[in-house]
Amino acid sequence: MSFIYLSYFSFVLRYRRTSLGPLWILVGPSLFIFFIGLLFAEIGTAQPEVFIPHLAVGLITWTMIGGVIVASATVFKRSRPQILQGTLSLERIVAVEVTTTLLSFMHQLPIVLIIFLIYGIGLNWIALESFLGLGLLVANGVWVSYVFGILGTRYRDLVEIFNALMRLAFLATPIIWMPGEGMRGGVMAAALIYNPFYHFVEVIRAPLLGQSPALLSWEVVFGFTAAGFLAAWFLKKRYARLVPFWL
Amino acid sequence: MTDVSKPLIEAKNFSLRVPVITAKESGLMRNPLQLVGDFYFSRKVRPKANLLEDVSFMQQPGERLGLIGANGAGKSTLLRVLAGIYAPSSGKLEVNGSAKGLFDISLGMHPDATGLENIYLRGLQMGLGLKAIRSLIPDVMAFSELGEHIGKQLATYSTGMRLRLAIAVSTMINPDILLLDEWIGAGDERFNAKVKERMMGLVDGSRGLVLATHNVGLMKTFCTHGMVLDRGRLAFYGTLSDAQKFYSSEILNKKTN
Repeated sequence: MSFIYLSYFSFVLRYRRTSLGPLWILVGPSLFIFFIGLLFAEIGTAQPEVFIPHLAVGLITWTMIGGVIVASATVFKRSRPQILQGTLSLERIVAVEVTTTLLSFMHQLPIVLIIFLIYGIGLNWIALESFLGLGLLVANGVWVSYVFGILGTRYRDLVEIFNALMRLAFLATPIIWMPGEGMRGGVMAAALIYNPFYHFVEVIRAPLLGQSPALLSWEVVFGFTAAGFLAAWFLKKRYARLVPFWL
Repeated sequence: MTDVSKPLIEAKNFSLRVPVITAKESGLMRNPLQLVGDFYFSRKVRPKANLLEDVSFMQQPGERLGLIGANGAGKSTLLRVLAGIYAPSSGKLEVNGSAKGLFDISLGMHPDATGLENIYLRGLQMGLGLKAIRSLIPDVMAFSELGEHIGKQLATYSTGMRLRLAIAVSTMINPDILLLDEWIGAGDERFNAKVKERMMGLVDGSRGLVLATHNVGLMKTFCTHGMVLDRGRLAFYGTLSDAQKFYSSEILNKKTN
């Protein structure tokens, strides 16, 4: 269980010597939600009590998804000394990485809580489904970090590719817009079901907003989980031993 | 789990071959199809570098092994294999007990964390539990002589203080087989004596030692046996004096001829 303490250290030390400490990660999303909310209220295309909670949950979920993916390409590179010293195994590095991201995610939950209170959004039993969604998201974080960690060590372009693509993926996923709500999803809305990120966001967001996610979303998420772990198993078997040489 | 009568390390014809990857091939943009190629043809096409070849030896409990060889002979690589960092690509290697190395002593220290936090950070990375770390703290404190500075951030430490803490923390381990890549030294003489004493304690506490160093005197002090490595191959294994003789007569002389 030592990876939990290590995650705690890496989480806390990131904000050492700042005046707000880890509270800083509340500042960015809060400002973003406030101004985007203000802007769209001005345009008058969505009702704030529907759009703002949608935006808030979507944004912090996306922060975790995008964060894990972009960081995954450099996860082993950043732990080069520990790998070459033999103190941390690849599995433990991944465990620390994913737990740290989960800690940041949970740290941002107060934003959602406050927004739900402001707009009087009640939670019903369906909301519990989002725990399953979060669990699956974390599980996917594990294989993503492992698989792209190995590939990113071998191919140094990967992190730049992820950086470039994740910004587009953010726009293609309904976070600052809503599909079919007069928010003009346009072309993207039509292609939505082919966007895996949409399904990953949905399994957490929809239950919190009182709706069960579509069966398709669960299928996609479960499918990715299975395929991902299969890929991780394959890479571990064939290439994990080469990682120390690629570093 | 650790059988005392068994040899500490049993190596039978093991090799370490690694596919060669040039800096050019690390780029995806040059040839995106390479990714596909790598997956399907990696085994056939790639030239391999033989880092270690056909190494066989047996280290008995109590034997302290010195690795002798020129730079690039494979000493550090062998240590990393024994530590489990590099996996042999063929052959058999059995390490009976825990083998841990002191390769990079200031590894994983965080400049923004306090001295005390760094003890925890390093301890956790080395696989120690919180309880075990807590029980080791008085010892680390005494050895590093940091006193009240232990509560200050590492970034505020002098080089000497940092080194003292690093050595104190690195030597918290207690492995069956101690792997050392060069001796740990630390500036001022008084402290060096302390380090030496501590290292001796660590060596005495272990059931076996593998030491790679160019310092002949040091090797004589600590090692009973010697292994001569020459370009990734085991050239000689035997008592230390025989190994040193072999090295100077066979390897060094050949090179000068």
